[in-house]
Amino acid sequence: MKAYLAMMRGAYMIGLVYRFGFLFSIAGNLIYMSITYFLWRSIYQDRETLRGLTFDETYIYVALGSAVFILLKTYVDWQMSYDIREGMVAIYLTKPLDLQLYELFTSLGFALHALTTVTLSTFLLLIFVFHIEIPLGIGLLLFPFSLVLAYLVSFCFDYFIGLLAFYTESVWGLSITKEVIITVLSGALIPLQFFPEVIRKILLWLPFQAIYYTPLTMVAKPNLGWETFLPMLGIQLFWVAALFALTRLFYNQAVKVLRISGG
Amino acid sequence: MSLIHIENLTKHFKILNRREGLRGAFRDLFSGDYRTVEAVAGISFDIEPGEIVGYIGPNGAGKSTTIKMMTGILKPTGGILQVNGLVPYDNRIRQAQTMGVVFGQRTQLWWDLPVIESFRIMKEIYKVDQKMFDRHMDMFNELVGLKALYSQQVRTLSLGQRMLCDISASFLHNPQVVFLDEPTIGLDISVKAKIRSVIQQLNREHNTTIILTTHDLGDVEALCQRIIIIDKGKILYDGDIKRVHALFGAYRTLKLQIDDFTEATLRTLTEKLSGRFGAGHGITVAETEESWTDVTIDQARTPLSDVLSFVMSSFAVEDVRIVEISMENVVRKVYDGALK
Repeated sequence: MKAYLAMMRGAYMIGLVYRFGFLFSIAGNLIYMSITYFLWRSIYQDRETLRGLTFDETYIYVALGSAVFILLKTYVDWQMSYDIREGMVAIYLTKPLDLQLYELFTSLGFALHALTTVTLSTFLLLIFVFHIEIPLGIGLLLFPFSLVLAYLVSFCFDYFIGLLAFYTESVWGLSITKEVIITVLSGALIPLQFFPEVIRKILLWLPFQAIYYTPLTMVAKPNLGWETFLPMLGIQLFWVAALFALTRLFYNQAVKVLRISGG
Repeated sequence: MSLIHIENLTKHFKILNRREGLRGAFRDLFSGDYRTVEAVAGISFDIEPGEIVGYIGPNGAGKSTTIKMMTGILKPTGGILQVNGLVPYDNRIRQAQTMGVVFGQRTQLWWDLPVIESFRIMKEIYKVDQKMFDRHMDMFNELVGLKALYSQQVRTLSLGQRMLCDISASFLHNPQVVFLDEPTIGLDISVKAKIRSVIQQLNREHNTTIILTTHDLGDVEALCQRIIIIDKGKILYDGDIKRVHALFGAYRTLKLQIDDFTEATLRTLTEKLSGRFGAGHGITVAETEESWTDVTIDQARTPLSDVLSFVMSSFAVEDVRIVEISMENVVRKVYDGALK
């Protein structure tokens, strides 16, 4: 375990090495938040609520959504396909390491970096620049837990695509497809409330909503109460366990077809 | 019992037959046209603790594939492979704890971080205790001056420095066996010599078994008592280096560019050389490219410097190069039955 924590620390340090990346990600976030602010302002115009959501609730959801989006992008799929194509994966496999945990903890190191830059800056920008009042409630308290679970679900998807690189080497097309599917079906772009009723019901049965919809709802509507939030966390937990187990099984298959040419 | 036991080991790869051009590339998308490549075609050998074994062969001979099977990355297609009595592929994580690996063309160090951080991470990965860590770091410092590099980002190291760090790192957890895959690739002579001496000292320190794959016969000459030559997935020779040494060790080729070169020059050169050094001098003369003459010398019989000074004083020599016999030449000689 100490080994994985050491690697997480290493990955976090790499984030700090690239100082300008840090500054630009905050600047980029500010621009994105401004655009979505005016976009949703014009959608709401003078209306108080849309589909049961006030402007503030929607805006918190969407703005925080983009911050969480950056946080939950693990890039594990890109990294793994690069490592497999370049043969770097041979180096990890000659170490007494579990590949899944190795990928998880290095990506967590980068995520921690994103958390301290983008997610925190979004909260600060929401409060001090856009003067949005973030409502207090138990949801806010549960948000960090939900975020960790969301991260693990997102990781499993990326790790799964990364494992496909053992077969295909390049995962460019697969990654893009996965990204589009998750962005739309998870409620990252638009809250699930804005989907037609039937589709929304189906989506709640799929793992995608565990990535964005669940944690974001906890901040946007923090007063829904324990009886709403606990099942939501339970469903997240279920998906984490299921997807971890499935990707582990898949790894055992994928690693068999590995071939590393040259060097 | 031997440390590594290999018997009739094979590895086949399925490779898609690619077609040419853009149209071919599109057709390949739906192609099921595979061919099988035998990267390793039935090899057997045993390696004892403490040995330094040179595992050599030309490009694509199957060296790296064998290494990757021994380290548990690749699953053999057939045959027996045991390291320490265990099957590497089935016990990858356990096995990795007792192995060190350096792939010369890739680094195991963290590219963006200072050197010392990689060693700290490796310390945790291999569960090295603080006492052993300190002792080994001191040893590495003595051998390669590691302390001076601690705070330097790995990406800013020279290739030679990086390689010395990589090799040190692979010995950090005191492994039983270290695989060095092309550790001197792309380095100049002085750095190569340094790396060879470091490998030698690390081997002595804990009697670590080392398996060295290389293109550079100089590496093998400097380090190994035993040599295994592989080509096209099959073992050509496995045994004492002394016999192989006779094939390439003593031979050097003197490449001469002589002014006003004619057919007659070649003849006079041959005559003068046999006149000066007598019969059984072990010198052969041949014209190769435009105006270059190859004088191959068996140093066991005639010192190269004697030949060189004689030629220089007798002919108007424009340019001289001295070359070692190449890996390809050795393999060719073995094929021709030189070791039978």
